[in-house]
Amino acid sequence: MPVFWLVLILLALGVGGYVFGRSRAMASAGGDSRKLHSLPNYYGSNVAIKALVPSFLVLFIWLIAQPMFISSQIAGQLPDDIVPEGGSIGLIMAEVRRTAEGIDAIVAAGGMTEEMASSGRADITDFTARLQEAGQVVTGTVTQPILRAAQSYRSMTATGSLAMTVVVLLMTAAGLVYGLRETFPEFRARNVVEASVKMLLIAAASLAILTTIGIVLSLVFNTVEFFRIYPASDFFGSLTWSPSFQGNSQLGIWPLLWGTLYISVIALLVAVPIGLFAAIYLSEYAPKSVRATAKPLLEILAGIPTIVYGLFALLTVGPMLVKVFGDGGLGWMQSGTAVMTAGLVMGVMLIPFVSSLSDDIINAVPQAMRDGSFGLGATKSETIRQVVLPAALPGIVGAILLAASRAIGETMIVVLGAGAAARLSLNPFEAMTTVTAKIVSQLTGDSDFASPEALVAFALGMTLFIITLGLNVFALYIVRKYREQYE
Amino acid sequence: MYDAPTPGSKVDQTDIKITAKKVQVYYGDTHAIKDVDVDIVDRAVTAFIGPSGCGKSTFLRCLNRMNDTIDVCRVEGEIKIDGEDIYDRRIDPVQLRAKVGMVFQKPNPFPKSIYDNVAYGPKIHGMVRNKAELDELVETALRGAALWDEVKDRLQSPGTGLSGGQQQRLCIARAVATQPEVLLMDEPCSALDPIATAQVEDLIETLKEQFSVVIVTHSMQQAARISQKTAFFHLGNLVEYDDTNTIFTNPSDSRTESYITGRIG
Repeated sequence: MPVFWLVLILLALGVGGYVFGRSRAMASAGGDSRKLHSLPNYYGSNVAIKALVPSFLVLFIWLIAQPMFISSQIAGQLPDDIVPEGGSIGLIMAEVRRTAEGIDAIVAAGGMTEEMASSGRADITDFTARLQEAGQVVTGTVTQPILRAAQSYRSMTATGSLAMTVVVLLMTAAGLVYGLRETFPEFRARNVVEASVKMLLIAAASLAILTTIGIVLSLVFNTVEFFRIYPASDFFGSLTWSPSFQGNSQLGIWPLLWGTLYISVIALLVAVPIGLFAAIYLSEYAPKSVRATAKPLLEILAGIPTIVYGLFALLTVGPMLVKVFGDGGLGWMQSGTAVMTAGLVMGVMLIPFVSSLSDDIINAVPQAMRDGSFGLGATKSETIRQVVLPAALPGIVGAILLAASRAIGETMIVVLGAGAAARLSLNPFEAMTTVTAKIVSQLTGDSDFASPEALVAFALGMTLFIITLGLNVFALYIVRKYREQYE
Repeated sequence: MYDAPTPGSKVDQTDIKITAKKVQVYYGDTHAIKDVDVDIVDRAVTAFIGPSGCGKSTFLRCLNRMNDTIDVCRVEGEIKIDGEDIYDRRIDPVQLRAKVGMVFQKPNPFPKSIYDNVAYGPKIHGMVRNKAELDELVETALRGAALWDEVKDRLQSPGTGLSGGQQQRLCIARAVATQPEVLLMDEPCSALDPIATAQVEDLIETLKEQFSVVIVTHSMQQAARISQKTAFFHLGNLVEYDDTNTIFTNPSDSRTESYITGRIG
């Protein structure tokens, strides 16, 4: 792996630069580090930064840009009629790359000389046979244009990599020299290192934000694509969800949205009272020792993967509910998968969210508030109800809204616990499904990404994204608006 | 409205509201209060003075059993209010605190409206039968705390929006509204500016007409200005307890003298 070796060499050069820079700084000060503006380590780091940061940036950009550049060049060379009816240039390019990689592997294994691999008069059948013999997967027979393209792909890649290595090494050397030249006692190496640390942190922060923007954009583009082939009025207006891969699908969002909201409401009805009461007990009543064990125990609930909750719903809660509400009992419930099953289990999953956040918020209410109330002869529960909870309310509302966004976005519990039927019904013991579960089912299996049945997943995802974003913004607004009340 | 106070005036020694005998307080292993005996007079101001950490606030909090809310705190000895031992099993500390009101160092109005802050005590103790009575009680309490004129037009605005001095008077009004017999004040002016302090001190002078006031203070001038009796605490001991005049003019203990002349503390 040449890139791997290149990185190792760069790192070694960086370490060398650090050592040289440090000793050069010491030498320039005549061995007395007090004469230096900064500690000797900073001079070393400065040299290493000057050597490594630009060259790593170039390396990174080159690694991304080179395949894109080569692909577009090759695609331009290919004859126009190579793309079959209904196919795409992407598939042809994939074949070119596979062929090129196959040739690489054969050459590396000694099955072919480099001269022969890049020969312009190479025989196609021979190549195909050798590729297949060597166990390289090549679809069909390699055609003449593809082989030509693969060969020029190989040569361009080789040239590119060589050029990259040379450029990067030259940049490192230039950086080293530059860094070493400015190493003299008056140079403010400490400030340079400080600025670099700041840049590193800014880079990390922007990367996170850029990724978010990227996710949103990919959702937006595919959603727009979906609405181009499926009318938005049907998506938001129809009450039926019946996708069919033969076409003629009815893709109304309401049954899914209804299932999502119904299950979320049940989950919150379970999680909010239990979580809140648990938080009140833990923060106001529990002795320190109980709190120290109970709080982490409760928070373990938050660490259980949701698929495990899904199994719990499917294997334990569902059958239990059927025993009571099913045919043997009240007769309301047909099978174990139902809104109630998923809602209850999701509620259990959300308890630690509500309780842990609320507990922190209740603890943040100043002790002076409680003292004031106790001093007036109020009991503990009066104090909590009338003073502590009102003071903590904005934070608690925020916690509940965060839990609600989790409930709306939850998938695995629903897939296993609520069934797959998209229906609009009021009976909580019937199977229903949610937006998230349908996104999964629309995108798994053999789906053609140009059909509305697959693209609808992005429209569904976008809708969910907007709902949860709205909830989060609302939660933040509530928390901000009322936060200063007791500070 | 009230008679000009006579600092350190003699009070009738027979009119005793609270008697404390051999009170010991422990925080875990720390012996915070040692053998304190004190008699607190009704309808007068008693000041507790002493250097930081001397136990004066701790002792004050024994008088309404606020120390009960601290797990590691243990109180021994006998404290009687009107002859009734407040640490007796039959005494409900919640009920006791309604009778012995408390005002804290930092103003701590609840995050509610001014009206609801004052109405809080009367409501939880069921002291009123209807809204009209409650309105009247709130007005009386706010007038009693010399705050009515400043807030009568904005009773529904939040209590936390008032100035520091107004907040502290609101807290006093809140304590007065439950009609206590004793009012404990833990450095009520330490977070206030001189003008607000003067207002609260004036207020204390009127409050002592109705009930006995016990105040912890760091300011010896304040103790001299407003109290009739002064207790000097040092390292958990009650060093000296006498008429304020005597303490400040002719202390019998050398430690008291050192403290009031600024040599220790």
